[in-house]
Amino acid sequence: MLVVQLFINGIQSGALYALIAVGFSLIFGCTRIFHFAHGATFTIAAYIFYYLYSMAQFHWVLAVLASTIGAIIFGVVLDRWIYAPIQRHEGSFFTVFVASLGIGIIVQNLIGMIFGRGFVSVATPLSESVELMPGLFVAPLSGLAIICMLVFFFALQVFLNRTHIGIAMRALSENPALVRIYGLNPRHLSTMVFAIGSVLVVPAAILTGAGSGLNPAIAHHVMLISLAATIVGGVGSMKGAALAGMLLGITENFALIYLGPQWSEAVTFVVLFLFILLRPSGFFGRAIAN
Amino acid sequence: MLAYILNLATLICINAVLALTLNFIMGYAGIFSMAHAIFFGLGAYTAAYVAMHLSVSIFLTIPIAMCVCALVSLVLALPALRVRGEYFVAASLGLQVIGVTVFSEWKFFTGGIGGVIGIPAASVFGFDVIDPAQFLLPAFISLIVVATIITILSRSSFGRNLQAIRDSESAAYAMGKNVAVIKTLSVVISSALSAIAGALYAFYNGFINVESFTLDTSVLLMAMVIIGGTGTLVGPLVGAVILMVLPSVFSYMWFLPQTEIGAIQQIAYGTAMVLLMIFRPGGLIGSSGKQAKS
Amino acid sequence: MTENPVLLRISNLQKNFGGLKVTQNVSLDMRAGIVTTLVGPNGAGKTTLFNLITGHLAPTGGDILWQGESLVGLAHWKIARKGIARTFQDLRLFDRMTVEENVLSVMEPIAWLWQPGGRSGLQHRKRKVKDILEKTRLSHKSGVRALDLSYAERKFLSMARIMAADAKIWLLDEPASGLDRGSYSHFLDLLRSEVKGGVTVCIIEHNLDIVYGISDRIAFLDQGKLMADGEPEAVLKDPHLTAIYFGDRAE
Repeated sequence: MLVVQLFINGIQSGALYALIAVGFSLIFGCTRIFHFAHGATFTIAAYIFYYLYSMAQFHWVLAVLASTIGAIIFGVVLDRWIYAPIQRHEGSFFTVFVASLGIGIIVQNLIGMIFGRGFVSVATPLSESVELMPGLFVAPLSGLAIICMLVFFFALQVFLNRTHIGIAMRALSENPALVRIYGLNPRHLSTMVFAIGSVLVVPAAILTGAGSGLNPAIAHHVMLISLAATIVGGVGSMKGAALAGMLLGITENFALIYLGPQWSEAVTFVVLFLFILLRPSGFFGRAIAN
Repeated sequence: MLAYILNLATLICINAVLALTLNFIMGYAGIFSMAHAIFFGLGAYTAAYVAMHLSVSIFLTIPIAMCVCALVSLVLALPALRVRGEYFVAASLGLQVIGVTVFSEWKFFTGGIGGVIGIPAASVFGFDVIDPAQFLLPAFISLIVVATIITILSRSSFGRNLQAIRDSESAAYAMGKNVAVIKTLSVVISSALSAIAGALYAFYNGFINVESFTLDTSVLLMAMVIIGGTGTLVGPLVGAVILMVLPSVFSYMWFLPQTEIGAIQQIAYGTAMVLLMIFRPGGLIGSSGKQAKS
Repeated sequence: MTENPVLLRISNLQKNFGGLKVTQNVSLDMRAGIVTTLVGPNGAGKTTLFNLITGHLAPTGGDILWQGESLVGLAHWKIARKGIARTFQDLRLFDRMTVEENVLSVMEPIAWLWQPGGRSGLQHRKRKVKDILEKTRLSHKSGVRALDLSYAERKFLSMARIMAADAKIWLLDEPASGLDRGSYSHFLDLLRSEVKGGVTVCIIEHNLDIVYGISDRIAFLDQGKLMADGEPEAVLKDPHLTAIYFGDRAE
């Protein structure tokens, strides 16, 4: 029964990780930008919701909206005013990465100063577990997480495969010059990519706030998961990132019980390490020529 | 007041060694490591272990610490450097996280979360360096030694090979350079020299624990190198001085909340990193030339 | 001309990227001392062929023999050490290093902390660098960083690097493209004198002055296939080929 419980917990975390990972994978795959500040987007979305819903007692719909708008604005501002100027001047991978790292540090510390460094969580009946069977506790949050994941992925699939802009976004990662020929602006597409990637983070942020709780350092964990899932799943494959995110969630929960909490994060990294060494192209990624 | 300045100066020397060695791989070879604090820690723990079980002579503890770091980095670098630079960042991030967990759990060697206490004073030519004030001299000498070694290497053909790999790995290959071996060597050298800083730190404080070797430390070291200027010899020194002096400067600003100095310091160098990357990626000392896109 | 020994033999070389056949059954011999020019419209697979030879790409089929020994599967740095040197279309200079360091670095392939020969070896290498910089007219810029050079100077630095490589065969990828009249004629003179010194060269070029002026042979590629291989006048008089070649140029 413990195994089933861990599995269900794992799916709950996994669903949220999958969302985060796909957001990161989308951004990295289309723009080749190592968006380390993806964790910061998560933190901002989560704390906006926490502040408006738990502290200021606004209606949850408003809080969700504000959270979403906040995440989109953050992602787009970063793309337009930080990443774009850097790419115009020099644009090496590492320069962009360092800037992203800097933003992550700033956000983490600002949130820490405003909200304190301790754990906070959003109190909601959704996180109360119901004993479905003896020894099996499931909260409505789990179901919600899975539903969110499925809904968002379905929408994303439709967008990327059926709409003009979506197809153009996928083309962006292959060949920016080609995109220009079709009369589309790579810059605008890039902004859209950041907007969408950041939106994907929002449900995960809110549900984590309600579930396991938040603290400013959570950006690290988010970033680590995004990175691990993107690489394990294969760079350029969103399906892979989602699958890997799900697997990492499950693995982490099992490691939690069998190895202890200290090792659960490390286990994610051992998995990442092994993939980088043995199969850098991940599950579905394009083969990496060195 | 004097004790305060001596303390600051000693810590600057130790951190400057770390910044120099990180710059050696980041600025010269273009290898982005986020796990530098782990080698700092490994050097510190090894030196502490040797001092408490074998000998307090600085001529035994430091070389042994260097060998251990060199070996561990060799084992890790050999596979990890075969992958592209971007993947190496992820791998080093992973190493940093795993390393912290190992440091926290391996009670036998690292004392677990409690750390190692009661590290005896280092012995230099039979003279026990007990007074912290006296420690500045060995720290400073170590800095000079490391800086000299790195300068000589940077100006040699090895240094040119590193820079070639940084500027265009494919062209380096086309010239017959065995890139994997060169990169591995640079990582091994960098880690071995970082062990010196680790050993000094362990002796200076008399006690060490995992808190000093976390991701925050790795990022701080990266900030020193980036802000000071990558790929220059003076840059990391400038970066080390600025970032070590920063908390003191902030604590003098009475209008800032004193409990948040740590956060303010991080916001400061986070902002510096972002602004520098936009306007002056070479750092304060580095060239301001905008790099041509090849 | 056919008495010269074959240095590089490409036989039935194939390269596929998924379903895309970028190199189809190419067979070509490069003999010692001969200058071969690869021509063909853009996207014909010329640079791909270079990448296959130097080991930057692995072939899907066929073989590449260097002095009788197969190169397929060897690491690109090992191939370079056998005496095969190349330039890149996008130059790939060591931008943050000086001109002198760029050329010096070519002569320092050993991975360890020092090169053989000690101090006198270094002096010897530096003298060689001086000679090469004089021939490429870059002496006055020897302390300047590569990224601060003009376009023409960068092209000549790329040539200086390959001149320092002490190689048996040069693979030059559009070495003269975009050069102004004056630099261009200097380039031709330089190439002529190096060829006279015995270097075997294979050039990818669009410029007809080189094609006619220096080449001993021309290989015409289109869509990954070798369409023709022979002496310049013969190949370029073929109306079918000129249609492909100039048809592309007219775009």
